[in-house]
Amino acid sequence: MAALKRVQQWATFARIWHVFDASWQNPFESAELLKKYLMGLHKPIYHPMNDCGDHVIVINSLDIALPGDEWKKRVYFHHTGYPGGATWTLAWDLHKKDPTLRRYTMERLHIFPDLNVPQSLMKNVSNQIRQIRPVPKRLDAYSEKEVKEFPKIIDLPKDYILR
Amino acid sequence: MNSFFKLNLRTIIKATFPVKRTLSLFPKLQLKEIHEVKEENTLIIKGVNVPSGREPFLLSNKGELCPVCNSGLDIKHTDVLILSQFVRSDGCMLPRRITGLCRRQQKRMSSLVTMAHKAGLMPNLKPPSSHNDPKKRSGWKKYNKYFDESTIRF
Repeated sequence: MAALKRVQQWATFARIWHVFDASWQNPFESAELLKKYLMGLHKPIYHPMNDCGDHVIVINSLDIALPGDEWKKRVYFHHTGYPGGATWTLAWDLHKKDPTLRRYTMERLHIFPDLNVPQSLMKNVSNQIRQIRPVPKRLDAYSEKEVKEFPKIIDLPKDYILR
Repeated sequence: MNSFFKLNLRTIIKATFPVKRTLSLFPKLQLKEIHEVKEENTLIIKGVNVPSGREPFLLSNKGELCPVCNSGLDIKHTDVLILSQFVRSDGCMLPRRITGLCRRQQKRMSSLVTMAHKAGLMPNLKPPSSHNDPKKRSGWKKYNKYFDESTIRF
């Protein structure tokens, strides 16, 4: 086998490491995106019997966002099997208990609540996955000059008393 | 006959003064800031005339539409630089007689301002008693949330 072909073979079957910043991202939208990388669906060699999934490191999982009041409307049910063993946990409560929760079948998904990722994992990363929704910028993050010189839609009337 | 005359007068006023807030029965006052000065046993409260500071950056508004309709912008709840123009320093929405928006846009803007506050995007515009940091809110409110503008009904 020629050297070029050999390297091409390695490159095709090597597991790639991706990084994804989850701050202000919907976890359910992100899951649909990351699924492709974890299963290797984006590769031309994909086959259900071919184990070609990649690794994904998710950072800032503590800062994920849910739409509206879904943090208190989404409920997770568990039953111990005993009478009266039913529990209902709200999404924000579950997130508070463990912001890095994932199924055990997703061993190639590495979730971290903040930016502290071990160097042994981070040195493998060769790709960053683009975020789905833009991260909003808070008003106090803009400088005073930027706020003042931003184009104004309305002016205050002359008889307005500043408060 | 009397009512007809009143109606007619109103239409004449509307035609001559297309923007509502230019019509005022009182002599024009200046934009004012209230200062409280304490001197021995006497409290002096005075209104000081100040410019609004918005004049050089104001978009031109020609035509009969309200300023927001005229700008043709699709404003989202994350556009805090625009939404902060419609609120007081404590974060509450200005009334329509001050903003001069049409009924529909006034309602829409107040919904967007509420969304921005709930998402914690304008933490420096707040009543003095409330927390500055959205991360210090209680329970589920401290987690990040976003809103869909298509859920606004008008």
